[in-house]
Amino acid sequence: MNRSIRTLYIALACAFGVLVMMLGYWQVVAAGGLDERADNPYTMEKQRLVDRGRIISADKVVLAESVAYREKGTKYYRRYYPQGSLASQVVGYATSQQGATGLEQQYNNYLAGSYGTGAILDRLREETKNGADIRLALDTRVQKTAEALLSGRKGAVVAIRPKTGEVLAVASSPTFDLNQVTTDFASIRKDSGAPLLNRATGGLYPPGSTFKVVTATAALSTGTWSASSTFDDKGVFVVDGKPIYNSGKAKFGVHNLRDALTFSINTTFAQIGDTLGGRRLGREMNLFGFAQPTEIDLPSGEVATSGRYRDGKLLPNDQRDEDAARIAIGQENLQVTPLQMAMVAGAIANGGRMMRPYLVRRVITPDGVIVKQQRPEEVDSVASAYIASEVGRMMQSVVSGGTGTQAGLAGLSVAGKTGTAETGDPNRNQAWFIGYAPAEDPQVAVAVVIEDTSGTGGTEAAPVAGEVMRTALAAGPVRGEPRP
Amino acid sequence: MSLRSRELGFLIPALLLGMLGLAAGASARTDQLQAGPWQTALGVVLVFVVMHAVLRLRAPLSDPYLVPILAALTGIGLAMLYRIDPGLAADQAIWVTLGGIVFCAVIVFLPDQRVLERYRYVIGLTAVLLLVATMVFGTEVNGSRLWLEVGGGQRIQLGELAKVLVVIFLAGYLREKREVLAIPTQRRLGMNLPAFRHLAPILVFWGAALVVVVALNDFGTALLFFGVFLAMLYLATGRPLYVGLGAGLFAVGALAIWAAVPRIGARVDSWLHPFSDAQGAGYQMVQSLYALADGGVVGPGFGRALLVTEGGSPRIPALETDFIFSGVSNDLGYVGAIGVMLLYVLLMARGFAIATAARDGFSKLLAGGLTAVVGLQAFIIIGGVVRLVPLTGVTLPFMSYGGSSVVVNFGIAAILLVISNRSRQGLVEAVRGVPAT
Repeated sequence: MNRSIRTLYIALACAFGVLVMMLGYWQVVAAGGLDERADNPYTMEKQRLVDRGRIISADKVVLAESVAYREKGTKYYRRYYPQGSLASQVVGYATSQQGATGLEQQYNNYLAGSYGTGAILDRLREETKNGADIRLALDTRVQKTAEALLSGRKGAVVAIRPKTGEVLAVASSPTFDLNQVTTDFASIRKDSGAPLLNRATGGLYPPGSTFKVVTATAALSTGTWSASSTFDDKGVFVVDGKPIYNSGKAKFGVHNLRDALTFSINTTFAQIGDTLGGRRLGREMNLFGFAQPTEIDLPSGEVATSGRYRDGKLLPNDQRDEDAARIAIGQENLQVTPLQMAMVAGAIANGGRMMRPYLVRRVITPDGVIVKQQRPEEVDSVASAYIASEVGRMMQSVVSGGTGTQAGLAGLSVAGKTGTAETGDPNRNQAWFIGYAPAEDPQVAVAVVIEDTSGTGGTEAAPVAGEVMRTALAAGPVRGEPRP
Repeated sequence: MSLRSRELGFLIPALLLGMLGLAAGASARTDQLQAGPWQTALGVVLVFVVMHAVLRLRAPLSDPYLVPILAALTGIGLAMLYRIDPGLAADQAIWVTLGGIVFCAVIVFLPDQRVLERYRYVIGLTAVLLLVATMVFGTEVNGSRLWLEVGGGQRIQLGELAKVLVVIFLAGYLREKREVLAIPTQRRLGMNLPAFRHLAPILVFWGAALVVVVALNDFGTALLFFGVFLAMLYLATGRPLYVGLGAGLFAVGALAIWAAVPRIGARVDSWLHPFSDAQGAGYQMVQSLYALADGGVVGPGFGRALLVTEGGSPRIPALETDFIFSGVSNDLGYVGAIGVMLLYVLLMARGFAIATAARDGFSKLLAGGLTAVVGLQAFIIIGGVVRLVPLTGVTLPFMSYGGSSVVVNFGIAAILLVISNRSRQGLVEAVRGVPAT
């Protein structure tokens, strides 16, 4: 009988081995997923116990903080947003019911104190550090100006420092009050203006004529054209048997490439696009980062990829048999984010070098230790410095004497490009402006889009861009921050 | 070193472990260093010291590791109960004292386990009567009819006692029938089987187990009884075919019941898909899984996990009984939980070693069966907690809150030690040339 006793023991011991494995699955493998479930009381309880770090703007305005309160002898914290709706889509929220968004989600491990090499040990000890503060490049003065100008309209503004990629303002209108998320989320969600959507990073719009900056860069890069190459406009350019007209069916006659950008002449850029072909134009789009996810420190779900979409699917840039003439003037299913277009303007402003945009300059613990410091990084070189400066000079004449005069600032040279994407309904134009200032030493680059307007980029978006750039230049670089 | 001194050497750290657990729970409760409920701790230590003393006097040659293992499990269980609710630990200390008394009584009044073989049919009948009494007079708690009301609002679980009696009966019965069961006399369906009249008891047991499932609404007890029966059948005959056949029959029966009885079907559904009704039928399971996930690898320590709400009620229903293992996994993490499981494996190792060393068939079957019943019970409830098998309402031996379970399991340990003492004594006498009695 001793043999069967032995076998039985081995069988039972093996059964316990299976228990050990199964338990390991729940305690180690699946634990992370279970912790993240919204109805997990442990997670909710723990979140209330954490003194989450603050979110502070470049001009030292607190955008999010934790307020302590006592309940049955235990110290709990709740999140408070002193600025209410300011930069609400970027700051985001962190709740157990609605989940987390924006910087509150992206930097959750820092804000909640589970960062650094000690994090695993802390998890083992179930200890939580105090959360670290995150310091933004975002300046509330610029942000407030942008939001005030957008107020009552739908649209978005992005302002960046072209030399570093620091994001000065990300405004998306309409907004919502972050403090309302925990009290009345339903009414925010029901709002027909979709305030939860961050239009600046997640909104996709046809770029219209602002895309001509990309086309112009491609044109000059080939060496075939220069700013003074001449064209003869007959008022129409026919591709694939279908005509392309200028805005208002205008006829410009003999002009050069600079004039073509200044007055946003469709026929000329369509002709250039047609000559360049899909491959060449697509290569330039690749350099500018179209059809690639934009790398910014926000949750990837809140950042849309700019590019050409068909049936909701992103297409590659450089397909040979595409209608390059219409792509060149910002048509053919092009959909772009204001962030992407601000980066286009920023790359031209920065001598052809596109910088990676970032919101958070550094993460700093309550006792002043810098946990993470963001350094400016170059994404790509979209053009040579010479070509960038040529395109920039053309953009200056857009503001000094073309479609974008309303973006002009007294005593300063501004470079820019307007765009008006028509939807067929004259009251539902998407008005664009992208640009930078001052032209000779660019400190700020912007992109502005105004939805559903009867006006044009020149009348609607350009004044907003001018005012935002003026505020940004007045605010100046913050003392002690890295200067290029 | 004598066996008993070795026992004492292991017993001291095992008892210290429980006392440390109690102190840790108390310290977590008040957030300052505390010794904890010293009366409870002292009482339990005393019980184990007396058990040790009785073994020294009456069963000096018994296995020296079993009592320390018991002490460690009991201590961890007490510490867990204390951190859930100090009142539970105080109650449990009383049950442990009662268990100690039963333990000592068995050691003193049962010098030779072989007398039990003589009364096997009486014992078997008593087991049946106990189960029937539970079915007829039982009180339903949480949908299962397992308890019998006695005076003063106390309830006892007769099923716990019945399981020991069933093992004793089976040991006697199988010892008698093992030869005929082991030798096949006919060939049916490609299998070599013994005569039907020898096979009939298996079928009777199969039916009885299914009746228990439906009548007591308790899958755990049925699984336990049937599992022990198969284990002992295998020990007696050495034929895995019976185990396979029996398990197959049980599975077929269980599937039929699952399909036919909606109440049990719902239970299985909430086992397979607890998250589909996380606030309803799956609530207990889901909360338990959250506790496991929260425990992680090491866990925060006794009393530090959020197992109990601010109001003092456990987050997991039945935390102190069926789900005590979730509590251990939450407080002590994966490492602590593995430690507890290893204690059960060690317990089985000692139990089966005692069975191996026993010198007659009845004693081997008895020791093996009793060991299997404890090991299987621990497996069934831990398996339920980790969602390996459907969740059932059996207790975790030596740890769950509850008098019947603690007392009966201490009794089981005592019988094992009697068997162990007996076989070593026989060996000593054989060496000395004295005829074994």
